[in-house]
Amino acid sequence: MLYYLAKRLGLSAVVVCLVVLVLFSLLYFIPGDPVTIALGPRATEEAIARYAEKMHLDEPVWRQFLIYIGNALTGDLGLDVFSDRPVTAIIMERIGFTLALVGAGMGWAMLLGIPLGCLAAVKPNSWIDRITGVLSVGTIAVPSFLVSIWALLIFAVHLRWLPAIGAGEPGQIGDQLSHLILPAFAIGLSWVGYLARMVRASMLEVMGENYIRSARAFGLLPRRVIFGYALRVAILPTITLIGMGFGGMISSTVFAEIIFARPGIGKLIFDAVMARNFPIVQGAVLVATGLYIFVVLFSDILIAWFDPRVRESL
Amino acid sequence: MPKDAQHAPETLLDVRNLSVDFRTPRGRVKALRDITFPIRKNRIVGIVGESGSGKSTVLWALLGLLAKNAEVMGGEARFGDRDLLKASEAQLRATRGEEISVVFQDPMTSQIPVLTYGRQMLDILYRRPDVSAAEKRRMAVDMLAKVGIPDPDKRIDQYPHHFSGGMRQRAGIAMALLTGPQLLLADEPTTALDVTMEAQIIHLLQDLQKELDATVVVVSHNLGLIAELCDDVVVMYAGEVIEAGDVREIFHNAQHPYTRALLECDPARIDDVSRKLPVIPGDIPDLTRALSGCIYAPRCQRAMPVCRTETPPDVRRGEMSQARCHLLEGPHHDPDWPPPLDVMTVGAGETSASKPARAVSDKPLLEVSDLNVQFETVGPLRARLKGIDQRHVDAVLDVSLSVAPGETVGLVGESGSGKTTLGRCVLNLVQAQGGSVRFEGQDTLNMPEGRFKPLRRDMAMMFQDPVGSFSPRKSVRALITEPFQIHGVTDVDLDAEAERLAEMVRLPKPFLSRYPHELSGGQARRVGVARALALNPKLIIADEPTAGLDVSVQGEILNLMADLQAEHGLGYLIITHNLPVVRHIADRLAIMYLGRIVEEGRTDEVFARPVHPYTKALVEGVPQPDPDRRRAHVSISGEVPSLLNRPKGCDFAGRCPIAQDRCRAEKPPHVTMADGRRHACHFPIGQ
Repeated sequence: MLYYLAKRLGLSAVVVCLVVLVLFSLLYFIPGDPVTIALGPRATEEAIARYAEKMHLDEPVWRQFLIYIGNALTGDLGLDVFSDRPVTAIIMERIGFTLALVGAGMGWAMLLGIPLGCLAAVKPNSWIDRITGVLSVGTIAVPSFLVSIWALLIFAVHLRWLPAIGAGEPGQIGDQLSHLILPAFAIGLSWVGYLARMVRASMLEVMGENYIRSARAFGLLPRRVIFGYALRVAILPTITLIGMGFGGMISSTVFAEIIFARPGIGKLIFDAVMARNFPIVQGAVLVATGLYIFVVLFSDILIAWFDPRVRESL
Repeated sequence: MPKDAQHAPETLLDVRNLSVDFRTPRGRVKALRDITFPIRKNRIVGIVGESGSGKSTVLWALLGLLAKNAEVMGGEARFGDRDLLKASEAQLRATRGEEISVVFQDPMTSQIPVLTYGRQMLDILYRRPDVSAAEKRRMAVDMLAKVGIPDPDKRIDQYPHHFSGGMRQRAGIAMALLTGPQLLLADEPTTALDVTMEAQIIHLLQDLQKELDATVVVVSHNLGLIAELCDDVVVMYAGEVIEAGDVREIFHNAQHPYTRALLECDPARIDDVSRKLPVIPGDIPDLTRALSGCIYAPRCQRAMPVCRTETPPDVRRGEMSQARCHLLEGPHHDPDWPPPLDVMTVGAGETSASKPARAVSDKPLLEVSDLNVQFETVGPLRARLKGIDQRHVDAVLDVSLSVAPGETVGLVGESGSGKTTLGRCVLNLVQAQGGSVRFEGQDTLNMPEGRFKPLRRDMAMMFQDPVGSFSPRKSVRALITEPFQIHGVTDVDLDAEAERLAEMVRLPKPFLSRYPHELSGGQARRVGVARALALNPKLIIADEPTAGLDVSVQGEILNLMADLQAEHGLGYLIITHNLPVVRHIADRLAIMYLGRIVEEGRTDEVFARPVHPYTKALVEGVPQPDPDRRRAHVSISGEVPSLLNRPKGCDFAGRCPIAQDRCRAEKPPHVTMADGRRHACHFPIGQ
């Protein structure tokens, strides 16, 4: 197990390094000079030279890269071009909002999608199965930005049930939660469909296994057979899907955060890209990548915890 | 239980007129029709039949666990004061696991892999709220100890994959007996197990039944198992009970022509290996059609016109015995039926001309010498981190073997013996670490695929699971001509070749346009043979050629293989665990244990006088289809050790009844005896 963790963490580090390299070279190759953007078209030659030196832009590319990696490892992601504040601090201010949004979005999708999938699989071709089927395809097919806009228009503008923009007053949990509902609904909706479909398919397969028949032949209650036996095995591929889904959801937050004007990583990246604010873009994407890798690793370990065969092969 | 139960066994479960239909896209399949038989208290009842006979359907109907498309059309199953067929789901659930319990066919798939045995057994006891969890655990540990699991209080916290196949089945039996059920149903309890394990499980069931005074129903296609274990036997065919009775009546004085034919087809029963194996011609009838007369009439050697039109009389003698046949009673009664046991009623007396004395060729077709195959178990990095020296296991260890043209060599071993690895290595599908494989004198070991490919035309493989190894989207015609395309043979007329090959394996022409799922087990095998023969190979490697085939058709495949060999001078390497079958077809046998050949010699000699104790255990381990030849004790105990901790001395020493200190210290070398037999044993039997 320790060996497995060491191996996975080592591999994760390699992935992070590759991401940094790609980010770095992407920004290097896209047109537009960072110095001109930072200082404006009317900057003096001297100011340009001073800025370039401060940002190490006069050094060879490989040195720039090494400096960046070294700084990133020590938690220094550079300074915001406009405000001169540390990028790390800016990201830390916003990451909580994004994590709350992703967690709430995936959370309600799981709470609804997994039981729906189970019910549909236990009674195939029943009305609940058919409704689940239609619902799944429907929710998967609608893009999340569209859901965001519709939700905003219906629940916030027309019905005025829920607040439309922002993340709520700091320190007021109730207000923050009411601001979370619509965006979480918007980004989680398609995952209800994904999860219901996935759980239904693997439950159907597992319900046909011999050991389920054994459990029934020993007279176990249907509740125990479905949730204690079948779901315990059928959930395994779904855990992997959820882990990867977090990554996808981080990109959905870009839409949700823009449409609902919520602070967060997604909105931060969007604004930074528009403004050519390279340090912010690099830092935020790096943090998002790190989060994604962590969640996938976590889901793999969760599977090992659920399945003794996987645990022992680690 | 009343005291006089021994004198007049009372009926525990009375099945009467049970009929079950399956709704399928092809129409209603009348899977069970009018099944009637009693299950008498404290007896072991065997339900025997071939695939499609409905024997398992009876079990599931009794438990109320039939597939969703099944429908009970009528009948009753009286269990105490209840009718199981009309019981509510809640009543059934209270009965299942508590009063009626089940031992399943395949312990590898019938136990949930993610829960410990402790958890699974606790779950079974959920109906006892007044018993504490600690007490339940103690009950479970006791039961595991009773079925012969060593260290039960440690092993109860392990998962199924920690147990070997035999141990899993023991645990399965423990789970079934945990609640002290009145009736134990066992569905093919040994089919998934090796020969030596099978013998142990049979004896365990026998002992437990005596000890617990339980009533047991065993469903099996294995006549040996039934004869060894059961008191009463029910014979089923195509959804009907065609005969039932005491085990001796059934095996010594079978009344129904089908029972008689089934017994005659069992290769374990036939001592005369020079004759062709008997076969019941034809297939089981299509149960979606309207049926009239006797269900067995189309395949019966004694069928009369009346058999096809009139339902045969149900002839009963006593409480248990019944048989349905026109020969037994009524206007068509034949006083000479049934004939004495030594008279064959099917495929009678045909002496095989297919084993002519072959000129022993001094040039072997295939020659394997000192072959070693290792598998990596631990990666190099992890081995260094954990300080593991032994990174490999020996799957095949110093194996030497040869096959001459026109010769059949049987490679026999239990699962994990390395027999399949050896076969794959000969076909250059596995890298070997040492030794040599020569095909017609040419060293082919670890040859690059580009150079080996032309040789593949000369050696063909017959796969264990023919349907699984065929593409489901190809017709039989495409399947059997595929080798021509793989090897780029363009100068042949594929249609003509397909017809030639189909004729060779006696497959009727219309079958050429069928798809794999439309074939029966025997037909799929024949397609497998035709495909293997397509390019006129010299050597055929057959992996379990009769696995999954019914007794009545496996003779067909074996006879076909023998005929083709006689015609084309093929060399066969047959990989199998089935000793009775290989005895009828192999000229020489090589017995493998843990990757080594422990004995090799002429088949008749190996069977008559096994030299290695393991061979002896295997030969004696096959249950005989004769209730008078039941074994008093298990000839071999324990299990095949893991390759990971191969014994230092003789691999078999830990299980060997005659092992000495020397056996545990040094590995016996291969010794060739005066008669050409080779063995690896320090103390060969009879020497």
